[in-house]
Amino acid sequence: MAILEPSSVLRRSPLNRRHLQSHGLFKKIGENLLVEHYGDDDRIAEEYKQAQVLSICDLCTLPRIGFKGAGALAWLKSQNITLPELPNTTTQQNNGGLAAKLSEQEVLILSDIFALSQDVNNLSSAADIEHQDCDQKTYVLPRGDSHCWLAVTGIEAAEMFSKICAIDLRTHKFSIGSVAQTSVAKTNAVVIRHDLGSIPCFYILSDISGTEFLWDCLLDAMVEYKGYPVGVNALQSLITEK
Amino acid sequence: MKLLPCPLNGLRNISEFTYGGEYHPMPDHRTSSTRDWAEYVFFHNNAAGIVTEWWCHTASSFWFLAERNTITDEIIRTFKADEIYQHRVEFEALAPGNDS
Repeated sequence: MAILEPSSVLRRSPLNRRHLQSHGLFKKIGENLLVEHYGDDDRIAEEYKQAQVLSICDLCTLPRIGFKGAGALAWLKSQNITLPELPNTTTQQNNGGLAAKLSEQEVLILSDIFALSQDVNNLSSAADIEHQDCDQKTYVLPRGDSHCWLAVTGIEAAEMFSKICAIDLRTHKFSIGSVAQTSVAKTNAVVIRHDLGSIPCFYILSDISGTEFLWDCLLDAMVEYKGYPVGVNALQSLITEK
Repeated sequence: MKLLPCPLNGLRNISEFTYGGEYHPMPDHRTSSTRDWAEYVFFHNNAAGIVTEWWCHTASSFWFLAERNTITDEIIRTFKADEIYQHRVEFEALAPGNDS
């Protein structure tokens, strides 16, 4: 099988060079490349175990989009998106995608980690068509361009976060589907708890220009717990092998 | 660390917030004098006592209002801006040549 090079696709992660330095092997998910695993194939099982304890994974090339404005919630409902009742909570869609309500007028839509959900593509196309006259007070937010997307997984994740985030993310305090818009390593971030199988998982979305900084801060905080980066295979296995 | 209750995000460290100045009701821009408009845009009362202020939760870019005692630094309450602003404020441009 030919080795996939990140330079062969239009969209690359801001962490692309870090992955290449760490001997990341890429695979195509949807239209883009993500690290499948790092190093040799015998690392696959090791990374799966690591994801259960403490790991970080780069999901920057997966689809995501946001909508904001007085008409945003009503428009998303008309597009068959199931929205949470309360701000700072999420609802999983039937196709695996995620809708996070960030305020009474703002929603973030995330793909699933298999990129099976077509919500982001569908909403992006629908918004182009329906908002040309811009009278509905719904504004599209290009979250794929503005925000990085990292996943921190494992039973040690919440304790690791206590070093760099003031919000109590312990699993009995920060339930599945909770959202915290807060500061992580002195950087503004949206933290979403979205467990994979039975393993705690926290998605972090933060300013894309600071991705390498945040990645390094998280790796530094993980050293104490022997956490390290894993490929998206390990995260997918948490769902398929639960 | 001081704490401030955000109406959207709950109790947070003060380092997550940005101060946005005193709240003043906006005069009608079509009828107010230049002096009144300048007062509104540039000047603060800097009162000793309970004042209403704009604050922004930076991580969510959420602007809200807080009543604070400037003598004791006690936060009396925080509330969403839609308690005051029920409608979008429109600034209609005057027709060309009608700028009096």
